[in-house]
Amino acid sequence: MNYLERLITISTADPNDARKRKILNILLAGTGAVSIVAIILSVYLLTTGQQQAAEINIILWGSIAMFVGILIIYAINYYYSGRVAASLFLIFLSLIFTFSDTTEQVSNGRALFVFTIPIFMASILISPASSFLFAGIISAIISWLARSIGLEPNYPAIIGFFLIAFVSWLSARSLEQALGELSIINVNLDRVVAERTQALAESLSRERIEAGRNQAILNSIADGVIVFDKNWNATLANPAIRGMLDIPIELVVQKNFRELIEHPRLAPRSRGLLLAMIEHGTQPIGFRIEWSEKTISVSAAQVYDNQRQNIGTVIVFRDFTREAEVERLKSTFVGIVSHELRTPLNAILGYAEMFKETVYGPMNEKQVNMADRIIKNTQRLLGLINDLLDQAQMEAGKLTINAQVVKTADLLESLHGLMDKSASDKSLKLTSEIDPDLPDAFTGDPARLQQILVNLVNNAIKFTEHGSIHVRLFRHDDNNWGMEVSDTGQGIPKSEIPFIFDTFRQVDGAATRSHGGFGLGLSIVKQLVTLMNGEIKARSKLTEGSTFIITLPLIIPEGISTKWRDT
Amino acid sequence: MSKLALIIEDDEDLANIFAEALRRVGYDVENVTDGKAAQERIRADSVPFLVLLDMHLPHISGKDLLIEMKKGERFSNTWIMITTADARLAEDFRDQVDFAMIKPILFGQLRDLAARLKPKDQI
Repeated sequence: MNYLERLITISTADPNDARKRKILNILLAGTGAVSIVAIILSVYLLTTGQQQAAEINIILWGSIAMFVGILIIYAINYYYSGRVAASLFLIFLSLIFTFSDTTEQVSNGRALFVFTIPIFMASILISPASSFLFAGIISAIISWLARSIGLEPNYPAIIGFFLIAFVSWLSARSLEQALGELSIINVNLDRVVAERTQALAESLSRERIEAGRNQAILNSIADGVIVFDKNWNATLANPAIRGMLDIPIELVVQKNFRELIEHPRLAPRSRGLLLAMIEHGTQPIGFRIEWSEKTISVSAAQVYDNQRQNIGTVIVFRDFTREAEVERLKSTFVGIVSHELRTPLNAILGYAEMFKETVYGPMNEKQVNMADRIIKNTQRLLGLINDLLDQAQMEAGKLTINAQVVKTADLLESLHGLMDKSASDKSLKLTSEIDPDLPDAFTGDPARLQQILVNLVNNAIKFTEHGSIHVRLFRHDDNNWGMEVSDTGQGIPKSEIPFIFDTFRQVDGAATRSHGGFGLGLSIVKQLVTLMNGEIKARSKLTEGSTFIITLPLIIPEGISTKWRDT
Repeated sequence: MSKLALIIEDDEDLANIFAEALRRVGYDVENVTDGKAAQERIRADSVPFLVLLDMHLPHISGKDLLIEMKKGERFSNTWIMITTADARLAEDFRDQVDFAMIKPILFGQLRDLAARLKPKDQI
């Protein structure tokens, strides 16, 4: 079938021409088949000798001539020109029709209608207008035939031929037009398809480049990255993860998070942290895990698509071993420094006290006074060291809150014990009160609460020259209590209030020298309050004084009257 | 009869100050400056009325000495006071001792505290 299709199909640039040549080939094949049948039949009749040999001979040679003619026309059609071949074929056909019957019948009778075939075919095979040419040729043939036997040409038949030519011309023309439009549409369609294909190819290659670039970025990150889908199955991991966890990527990807954390290199405590992260859906930023000998900082972030739907989690692992080591060294260093500094200062303080207490014999007023100054300065130095150590501990995240039962009255009693002397030394009055709504005891860290109060009162004494310092413990509301320290000191300029809790900051740089301290006191207070989930605010009016108000969550231990509801 | 105080403190100056403060209020004072010597001393016959134990000591740590003292009944009537510059360490041992003192320890503070101590078996 394919072979036959190839035989009749002629490929040319013009699809219209190809179509016409293909139709001609089909017609040639049909005619050729008819002539072969005629040849076979003639040969059969000649060998059987049933008919007159002369007549059959004419049919045989006529059929052979027709077959040869068809082959020649096919060759012209195939190799040279469709139009020439079609013209030859139609002339050939017309000639066959001319001699297919008696002259009378052909020019005037029943055979006339067969001439409509070449006229109609011309419009299809050559060009629409060529139907008129063939109408003319055939009219001439039948007129000549009629005259040859002394008859008038058959004019109605000639008019009929031209009418058929006209109809053929119209239909062939509209067919060609329709085909032409179709081919234009086809060309446009082809162009659009080509453009779309090109665009698609470009976007695909862009995406490939983009994906390649993202992969390259991911691959070049020194931190280990694992991407999990929303069921916590690892879908992607970068090569750095191999170096960090010392396991092949293939063992990471396609694994569920719960499987991964079963790895024996992960410390049990770290496993708990990671499990808590996925179970509670909370992702603290940068917590640490222990993996073999390594300390690894873990940061997790949820991934959302355009519709704000959670589609998974990205976890970044950073090797924190060195930093952790530095932190350990720093903490050891701080411990040593704290011990090594405090011990000699303790000795200075002790000897000065012994002088003052006349352990080594009587002293005159001036000597006692000097011993006092030694004690005071040493205590200041110790205070600074304590502040620095607290600050260092806070920065290392080591300062913790120890919740115990705190007796409200004890807080103020020990505050007075510690601070009364410092206040009276500056001729200031330190007063205090407890709001009756406040329970007798609550849960808190007594040492840290004490530290907050001491720092605030110390600060107030430092910046107050005349008047008093008042401390009040109060019930803020159902769930909160508060501490308030107010003074009658120089006050804080409004513009400075937002910065007073910053580390190493005092309102007036010169104050550091006149009042002592690095400005760490308030910063430590603020950090301690934050650590206790509380808040601190400052109110101040220049020359009239300042008030610091702290509110903290109130947790009342069992068996202690809440007071608040009792009244 | 005067009360015996054992001061286990490697810093000579602090040991001097503590000793002076305790003598002021009538204590007899013995001083050891080293973990090993301290261990030998607490294993000796006479049990002190008060032990002042520094937690940072050469050779044997204050913690180990404390464990040894707490093991038997010998020290059950002795007041044990630990001294350290590390507030956290003091917190950790607060429940196991009578006093956990954070340095700096004032002369007057120690003197007044020691003066108030009565024999444990009389309380």
